[in-house]
Amino acid sequence: MRGFTHYISGLAAVTFFPALVSDLRMGILIPVIAAAAAYFPDFVDFKFGKFFARRDYEIDPAPWDEKKHYAPKLVKISELSEKNRYQFFAVRGRVEEILARGSGTISYEIVDKDGTVKTVSEEYNSIVFTLTDGTGKITVEAFGDDYRFFEDEFGEIKEGKEMLVFGYVDVGENGSLRLIISDAPHPQGIAETIAKAIEEAYREGERIVKIHNIRLPGDVYRRFWIYLDPPKREVRVEMGPIVTPGGVSIGGEVPEYRKYGIAKVDVPFIKTYPKPTSVDSFSGPEIAFRKTEFNGKTVVKDRFLPWHHGFSHSLTMGVIIGLIVFALFKLIGYSHATELALASMLGQWLHVFEDQLGFMGSNLLPPITKDVVPGFKLGESGSGLTNFSTAWLMIAFMIWNFNRFTDPRPIPISDAKLLLYLIWPSIIGFGIAIARSFKLRREIARLMDYYTNLDAFEELEEVGGI
Amino acid sequence: MLSLSTILPWSLAGVLFGSLISWIPGFHIFNIMALLVAVFGVGEFMPVEAFPFFTVGAIVAYAYVSAISSVYFSVADESAVFLLFPTQRYLLLGRGHEAVLLYLIGAVAGTLILVLSALFIFPRVLPPIYQATSPYITYFLVAIVVFMFMSEWPKEGDRGKTPGERLWLAWRQILGGIAVFFLSGLLGFVVMNTNLLPVTSAYTRLTPMFIGFFGMSWVLLNILSNPPMLDQKTEDNVESSVYNMLKASFGGALGGTIAAVYPIITGGMGALVAGHMTSQRGDDAFIISQGVNRVIYYVGAFTLLFLPNLRLTRGAAAWLVSSVYTPKSYAEYLAAVGVILLSAGISFLFTYYLSKVIARSFKVAHIRKLSYVVAVTLVVISYLLTGWMGVVVLFISTAIGMMAAAFNTRRSYCLGGLILPVLISMTGNTGAFMHLLGLG
Repeated sequence: MRGFTHYISGLAAVTFFPALVSDLRMGILIPVIAAAAAYFPDFVDFKFGKFFARRDYEIDPAPWDEKKHYAPKLVKISELSEKNRYQFFAVRGRVEEILARGSGTISYEIVDKDGTVKTVSEEYNSIVFTLTDGTGKITVEAFGDDYRFFEDEFGEIKEGKEMLVFGYVDVGENGSLRLIISDAPHPQGIAETIAKAIEEAYREGERIVKIHNIRLPGDVYRRFWIYLDPPKREVRVEMGPIVTPGGVSIGGEVPEYRKYGIAKVDVPFIKTYPKPTSVDSFSGPEIAFRKTEFNGKTVVKDRFLPWHHGFSHSLTMGVIIGLIVFALFKLIGYSHATELALASMLGQWLHVFEDQLGFMGSNLLPPITKDVVPGFKLGESGSGLTNFSTAWLMIAFMIWNFNRFTDPRPIPISDAKLLLYLIWPSIIGFGIAIARSFKLRREIARLMDYYTNLDAFEELEEVGGI
Repeated sequence: MLSLSTILPWSLAGVLFGSLISWIPGFHIFNIMALLVAVFGVGEFMPVEAFPFFTVGAIVAYAYVSAISSVYFSVADESAVFLLFPTQRYLLLGRGHEAVLLYLIGAVAGTLILVLSALFIFPRVLPPIYQATSPYITYFLVAIVVFMFMSEWPKEGDRGKTPGERLWLAWRQILGGIAVFFLSGLLGFVVMNTNLLPVTSAYTRLTPMFIGFFGMSWVLLNILSNPPMLDQKTEDNVESSVYNMLKASFGGALGGTIAAVYPIITGGMGALVAGHMTSQRGDDAFIISQGVNRVIYYVGAFTLLFLPNLRLTRGAAAWLVSSVYTPKSYAEYLAAVGVILLSAGISFLFTYYLSKVIARSFKVAHIRKLSYVVAVTLVVISYLLTGWMGVVVLFISTAIGMMAAAFNTRRSYCLGGLILPVLISMTGNTGAFMHLLGLG
């Protein structure tokens, strides 16, 4: 659930304690602590945990320019090396020599939505030249759709011309570096690194991959999708359009020949959520690949944001928060420290319970329990329906409790009747969410059933023992 | 009560007045009305009973026409030093008119929701709910402030090389926001509780501060960023879906209602709460919900002054009007609802055609030149309302507003200028705080 939904649950938890409600009425605002406690699990994860989390692989398809905070980063040619292959950069330099101008037919493979690979041939124009910036020399190539863009941007290219070019770095067969004119990184680099991490996780136990997003000038983002395809044992990355932080596509589709990156994986893996990972605005995700047992087979399983929903999202943490709040407020002489501690614990527990309605689940009672209990799959964390239904329920509880604990009652009707008047939108919302969740549960069950009977797993046992 | 033949002309005069000034960047209807009252008085040029209807017209016009200034005259340069608002992004894509249309869709939805609520829901539901919850307003207010701090989303930090560097980059922004809030609060406290500004400016003492926080800092950013003046499309197309429109309208109405009913909670804060509650995403949805939110926040809040069994004074305009005349009867309430509908229709047409004209002639005058003129005008308004000390307050608050932009944090933290002193007062600590600052 969203942060405010948890927060408002903490606000509502306070109102179940008449002593705290009485304090609020007198202008004593200390009970707000319970709302902070309810939000605490996300606060600690997103403001601290995230930054301290381990990163075994850091994929940055388009590093930011340090001054402007967006891509492409302006680099000197001498700063580029093989390890920058497929990354998106800008280079300012002088055209030293035009090596080739030409046209012909280019053939390349594209992948359709089903993952089927087909070869496409088309006419193209191209230019190849060397660019120098005083620190080194690099071959620059523009062809196909990118050539048209290049021609529009730079017009006639002559030796000695000063220019700023941008594109992705590639490595020639002889190991030489090239800059391929483009408006996006090549997705192959992302796919290869993820595939490598999955294979290493199978051998070593766990690998965590941080994937950065692609921020472009004008506060827009190049969206890309990561498909984990267990049946084909592939990691497929698709480079998408440019989108605003609000998710609206504003065009900028990349040509088919640099739209997809595919990397084969030599080990079995499963994906626990039947949707691709989409990366665009805000920050990119972290994905942990962990070796695990699935129906008696050793496989690698993905876990989104591994630093999230850990100890901070446990009932144990709620008890600790309650004890700390009690000790602290008893110490400063707050007369309702016990009620405040209980409300804080209840608020944090509500957070854990609300998140449990989603997909990720939490490790509920560490150290007694060791692993995450899967969520109830009622809706995604960002679902407007479940968030609103929960938040509204909490608002209803607040009004209900305020009314119950005020004499004379501002709303002079029975408690049961008032509660019913107040909570009906939440009842409808949860009803729709539950009905919808059946479809998704069936989809996930089908997927897991499919994995169970996947020949690829057997095959691997033979390849096996990797 | 006045006759319809008197109400109508004054309402239309309000719409005309609001429409003429609301498209100018940095101008806020509340400030201009305060100036109008301060300079001319009310009884001199209109019957005092007509003033609420004149104000309804002006506020409705503001809620609609201000879309023009926020879309066309709030552009950032292409390098996007700071994060852009969705409307700014639309403008940079040549889709400013589309952004205005999306806003208008929201504004119309907001008007309909407001009118239906005013007729069928507010009179029955608002009084008991308000009575049950009003003793806890300080609780809600503090809760929203704490949530604003706790929920600040670190926009940087991901790319730091070490955990320590990542943490610092993230917290630099969060701490910047906290600093902006408390500096604004300090300024607000001094302005509200000392005789820094002349006592004759009782109704307008906060005006230079708010002009600085939001208006002047906005205009200065326009000047500093020297934005490109791009060709704008004038076709009447919007990219959205019925689902997004409905969802955005619901979220906008929720946020607008919270802000309209509860004191100190502004439209932005209401939108923050409602946006989280309904889990909104999408630029189109954001702009539509802004339209709904602003209509309900500004117009709805003012309408509560007319509601006989509640009669809440919400917003600067309501305070200004109630100091002259407070409507008392249901007939006036119903007349106000009618004026809202009429004003909304006229304001819609005015905004729509003005947007077309501006989109067509967008490159005629550079926004930077317009911004210089507006900046000087804002200084003059501050001087006329509050004298030279008001201009000093304007400069300080502008610096604080610019700080928010520099830290890449929420501009709404500047509301600390209102929230902090009010909270200190509500909790009975004004004297202690004055003593702490060495002011009393």
